[in-house]
Amino acid sequence: MDKLIGKGRAAIGMVVDPESFREGVIGDLIITDKDFGPGAVIGTAALGNETCTIIAIDAMKTNRKFRVVYAGIIGLEEAYKMALAVYHSIEADKDNGPGEKRPLVLIVDTPGNAPGKLEEIFGMNKATGAYQLALAEARKAGHPIIALVIGRAISGAFLCHGLQADRILALGPKFGTLVHVMPLTSIARITRLDLEWLQELAKENPVFAAGPDFFYRLGGIEELIDRIEDMRGRVIAHIAEVRSIKARGGYEELGPSGRGALGAKRGGRRMRSEVMETMNKEFAAVADRYLI
Amino acid sequence: MSGKWNMLQSQSFLECNGRQRAFGLLDEGTLTELAGPRDRLSSPHLPVLGEAIQFDDGIVTGVGLIGKKPVFIASQEGRFVGGAVGEVSGAKIVNVVRLAREAFDRMVSARADLPEEKRPAVVISFDTGGVRLHEANAGLLAHSELMDQFQDCKGKVPIVSLIGGRVGCFGGMGFVAAAADVVIMSQNGRLGLTGPEVIEEEMGKDEFDASDRALVYRTTGGKHRYIMGDCNLLVADSIKAFRTALIEVLALPYGRMDGFRRIGSLEKVRYQLKLVDLCVKLAPKDSRDVWKYAGNENPTAVTDMSLETFLSTVRRLQVE
Repeated sequence: MDKLIGKGRAAIGMVVDPESFREGVIGDLIITDKDFGPGAVIGTAALGNETCTIIAIDAMKTNRKFRVVYAGIIGLEEAYKMALAVYHSIEADKDNGPGEKRPLVLIVDTPGNAPGKLEEIFGMNKATGAYQLALAEARKAGHPIIALVIGRAISGAFLCHGLQADRILALGPKFGTLVHVMPLTSIARITRLDLEWLQELAKENPVFAAGPDFFYRLGGIEELIDRIEDMRGRVIAHIAEVRSIKARGGYEELGPSGRGALGAKRGGRRMRSEVMETMNKEFAAVADRYLI
Repeated sequence: MSGKWNMLQSQSFLECNGRQRAFGLLDEGTLTELAGPRDRLSSPHLPVLGEAIQFDDGIVTGVGLIGKKPVFIASQEGRFVGGAVGEVSGAKIVNVVRLAREAFDRMVSARADLPEEKRPAVVISFDTGGVRLHEANAGLLAHSELMDQFQDCKGKVPIVSLIGGRVGCFGGMGFVAAAADVVIMSQNGRLGLTGPEVIEEEMGKDEFDASDRALVYRTTGGKHRYIMGDCNLLVADSIKAFRTALIEVLALPYGRMDGFRRIGSLEKVRYQLKLVDLCVKLAPKDSRDVWKYAGNENPTAVTDMSLETFLSTVRRLQVE
């Protein structure tokens, strides 16, 4: 079985049209500095009949300027570079109608956001937040955004690069795909709960267990992909679906809120909707006192 | 009733619990809790792991008033599982932001010239380490929903982050707080992404010594964040001080919010990238190196300065 962990750059070629990827170029953005956020690979490619933006992680690259940024970790430069890619995609299509915005394809293989002192001094929280807001803006402007998890999608780094997409596709567990907040061993240590007991519970409980299939049950991943050669076709199919949903104004069915509803449908997150409905009902009863 | 609210005003924001903060920040007697403890919407996941629950799942969500302005508030309780976000507490905070934006849409459709004083606002008091590990996956997904809701508020409803609790604001909530329009902190407040303990665990004591409290505060604390421009207003540790700052900010026209934001546009990202370049150029060993670069000749003195002296003398970081 071929695995794609660490092969973000190769995965770009498996998704886009052959030889079409132009790295570092999006609209009028041109990045030539190879040392600037080298683990974040951005650029423009052809995908079927259209132009798309690619944002991927190259886990083989090390950022020489930041000692904690290597092996796919997203650092300050990487996150802002990815944010630039999004804003320039929006800018490039600003005169196009909502149905003609280029898709963004996020190829996900990242173990985390940079855990370093420099990063905290300058605010890594802003860097990852900036990229997420950019993606949310693009999504709401009509750009279809599809995330494809080929390796690791861990905790905050998955929030940063993946969870703001319209749709999230992931290679299934047999490809060694890792999707979690923390491995069970760490959860056991921090919560002081017994590891073996947690492992037993995790078989049935998707809410804290690690793995793409559990995220699928929570509605956190729309689709698991069984064969590497299907990736391209599924990405193209989801772009078309997302476009048609957006064309009829169904934005709420996509992205994070769409996955919330999916979580209830798949039985993984039942309380979320009950909480929201309760609040809506209670607010409706008092709204007149506040909104006069 | 009146006595209770008045008494709260002088109390330490740090020492108060999440409910006291929410109650005291808003005009007296105006808070209506939504999904409050009487609804008993608690975590279904904690009992499975043999852990205690709370009927509000560790967060107060509701609506109140400041003047004529409807204020939608979420106030985290750091004393319950570290203020961490689970399925229920996550849904509460996500939905309170949604309700604020929907209220704005409703008010504007009824009256296009909605006066600024009635424009709804969102206030979130953070006291959290981020995702609740007992229900980690659901907590993570709630964070992504919150960022989505924040983006929906843009151009409509101002969002104000308050950070002055014991836990601080870390993990995913660290970027949620930074994505707000305005950030108000006390000196006790701490804001970051990767908590000091996690950095030490992952990268070793050489990278970060989490047992060094002074180091923790000067890397993540309110004064540092103020110098860096990550926090807009630094206030004393009392409910009243936070409330006063909140009233000032909410009295500003919405158009002024962009001046406070750190992120959320191409222009802001370009500015942040200048700071990253400075970070590379300066290669600071400690936040004090950055304070000095910003023009604070005696950075060691900054830590011990009273709030008044600090605010009147400090130089904040600026890059061209």
